[in-house]
Amino acid sequence: MILYILKRLGSIAVTFFVVSVAVFLMMHAIPGGPFDGNDMPLSEAVRAKLMARLGLDQPLYVQYLNYMWGVLQLDFGVPYQSPGETVLQLLANAWPPSLLLGGLGVLIGAPLGILLGMAAALRRNTWIDYIASGIATLGLTIPVFVISMLLILVFAVWLNWLPASGWGKPERWILPIIAYAAIPLATYARYTRSAMLDTLNRPFVTALRAKGLSERRIIFQHVLRNSAIPMVTVFLPMFIGTATGSIFVEAMFRVPGLGSFFVSSIENRDYPLEMALVLIVTLMFCIAYLLSDIAYALLNPRIRVEGRQ
Amino acid sequence: MNALLKFAGALVAMAGLSAPALAQGSIVSPGQSSTGTYMDYMKTVYARATGSESLQVPLTSFDKDFTLTGLAAESWTQSADGLTWTFKLRDGLVWSDGQPLTSTDYVFALQRAATSGYDFAWYWDFAGGIKNWKEVTEGKADVSTLGLKAVDDKTIEVTTNAPKPYLPSVVSLWYPVPKHQWDKYGDDWATNIDTVITSGPFILKSWVKTNNAVVLAKSPTYTGPWPAQLDELTIDPSFGDPAVGMTAYMAGDVDMTGLNAGQIPVAEQRFADQIRKNAVFAVSYISFDLNSPPFDNVDVRKAMYYAVDRNELTSTVLKNIAVPAGSILTPGYPGYNPEIAAQAVYDPAKAKEFMAKAGYPDGKGFPDVEIWYREEGGYNSAILPPMSQYLQAKFKEVLGINMSIKSMPTKDWMDGLLNKKNNLFIAPYEYDYLDPSNFFGIFYNGGRHDYHIDAYDKLVEQADSNPVWEERVKLYSQAEQVLIDNAAIVPLVHPITMMLFSDKLGGDAASPNKQGFTPQVGAYFNTHLTKQ
Repeated sequence: MILYILKRLGSIAVTFFVVSVAVFLMMHAIPGGPFDGNDMPLSEAVRAKLMARLGLDQPLYVQYLNYMWGVLQLDFGVPYQSPGETVLQLLANAWPPSLLLGGLGVLIGAPLGILLGMAAALRRNTWIDYIASGIATLGLTIPVFVISMLLILVFAVWLNWLPASGWGKPERWILPIIAYAAIPLATYARYTRSAMLDTLNRPFVTALRAKGLSERRIIFQHVLRNSAIPMVTVFLPMFIGTATGSIFVEAMFRVPGLGSFFVSSIENRDYPLEMALVLIVTLMFCIAYLLSDIAYALLNPRIRVEGRQ
Repeated sequence: MNALLKFAGALVAMAGLSAPALAQGSIVSPGQSSTGTYMDYMKTVYARATGSESLQVPLTSFDKDFTLTGLAAESWTQSADGLTWTFKLRDGLVWSDGQPLTSTDYVFALQRAATSGYDFAWYWDFAGGIKNWKEVTEGKADVSTLGLKAVDDKTIEVTTNAPKPYLPSVVSLWYPVPKHQWDKYGDDWATNIDTVITSGPFILKSWVKTNNAVVLAKSPTYTGPWPAQLDELTIDPSFGDPAVGMTAYMAGDVDMTGLNAGQIPVAEQRFADQIRKNAVFAVSYISFDLNSPPFDNVDVRKAMYYAVDRNELTSTVLKNIAVPAGSILTPGYPGYNPEIAAQAVYDPAKAKEFMAKAGYPDGKGFPDVEIWYREEGGYNSAILPPMSQYLQAKFKEVLGINMSIKSMPTKDWMDGLLNKKNNLFIAPYEYDYLDPSNFFGIFYNGGRHDYHIDAYDKLVEQADSNPVWEERVKLYSQAEQVLIDNAAIVPLVHPITMMLFSDKLGGDAASPNKQGFTPQVGAYFNTHLTKQ
């Protein structure tokens, strides 16, 4: 197990390196730099001065090595969009709102989705199944900004129960959390339904029933556990994807979160921030998959992390 | 696990936060960009932080009728040869830390801009025409040779390369930089709320960098004209998108909001008395690469000039969020000549003739072309996509041209324009200062486009430096006639913005001007608003 984890950590390092080179090259291959795109073109002299100030006049490999040397010391540089603070300080300010709302969205949406999926599987082809599947399909197909807009219209404008948008007081969190919860809820409902139906049809369930186990024990102790693999697979990546903020949800609810920086760092050619975001998310996904693999082994003793059965 | 721990930490941290209660006379208004770097207009214009221009006092400014008014400058005079302007500062102006505001703070602002790289440097070169500006920015001359002098604490002298009769209008974008603060902190003085000091009607009360939102408060130390009438002004770019702003407006979270084309009919029905229109001094036009086929042929360009039905475009496709443009100048803008604008008529027969004369009868043999426009926020986002589709259909119908459309991010678009990666563009431009030279400058001698039309350049040069207004206007009209005769551009539309203003807003700035428009101009707007 330990050897396996070490091997996986090695491969994470390789992935990290490959991603860093690829992203660095792609980032600089996009036309225009941080100072282009204004209404009037910059004169060469002015442009040269601005580029030199950020060290962008140096050869690309020097820029890459300088940046990565910093990264190894946890120095991700200074964002061009926000001089006066480091990339890490910017993340420390922008991430908590996304983590809070997105994280709660997943933590609330996923269990509700599991319950919905279970209900659908156990009452297959009844009205419960149809409603649950309908909710799941709507949650996945209606774009999140439409859901957000509807939530604002209904709860803030028409009913006047909750604030339309903003950040600060906890009542402002409720609508964005519901918007964030939609996709995990829908995804989990569908996964759970199909995984449970699959398991319910397996012979061991019939055997358990024949042994006289109560239906509750069969469902919760055996069927659910055996259906958990796909749920574990999607959980962490979904958590990371949601808890790093959605540009749509954050724009609609005016959350000062991380979501918009994924786009603005590219639009503004904010190289240090763009690199930092990609590298951090890469690392998080690598670790998430490693943890998922370990969780498989814990859930199902027949799966061995080293590939032997 | 790591994420979970952070999450738990964030929960604890956030539970302690709450939004402050709004003070009396407090307005919440939408801002523009959700990212901002320095709270310093003289460090960067395009990446400045929200509110930069409300915190400092420019030498001059414009009111809602576009009358030039002295703010920090009490008076100004021009020398007999027209080359030197002397601005006198008002008595009693101070920084918010109590230090006196002096001419050195203004001169230093531009000296730093000329030497350290300023994204708005073209303005002081072309519009300002400040002596030796170009040489200093290129490092060929010392900063002391710049045509700027702090004669004494209250007197600024500006020397220009050629007479600049409109310089008092140009200096409406000349803000001071606190030299004493800069000496202590360098450029970083403007990145930290604790070190930002102000000379204008507002002070900076809070600044959320994550979304570039600010709360400004009435300055207790400002003694100049146009003091703030509000206790507090929140400017929050997260309200900037009309889709967000409109719902927030309906929920009472924001006091004004922009409208997109789809929202206008709803607003007209439900909030008719709260609508404020503004004719933006801006133009959208088609530009070409004049040296690359097929647009190196003047007849092709003329065919396009006559193939656009601007009235149909604005009244149908654009639902009156723009008016037809026949000139680069907007109706009501100084120097606007209706005779020039009247030439831009829709004449499909003439357009077809020009096409045939160019060797492409009914578009036969004409290569497929692509028009590039840039993705933008604000009023242009509602205009550019439908307008390009209209042009696509019209050029096909009238000229037989197959034109595809490409929408691209601003930086990519500008890169394409400057490096001639395409030969056909839709370009929007909004004024920077109130003088025709502003718009004529964008086609002058490779200004924004790689246009070098000798006759045009000479006329613009003469017009720029002519001290007699009537003669200037005549020369600019002649210059624009050269553009038209060359069909160097095809003017399309001037945008009209629509906003909703809460009926709780009052003050001069909330009511329309003589033309029936409510412009949100510079220093005037924020200082002339009140709230019941």
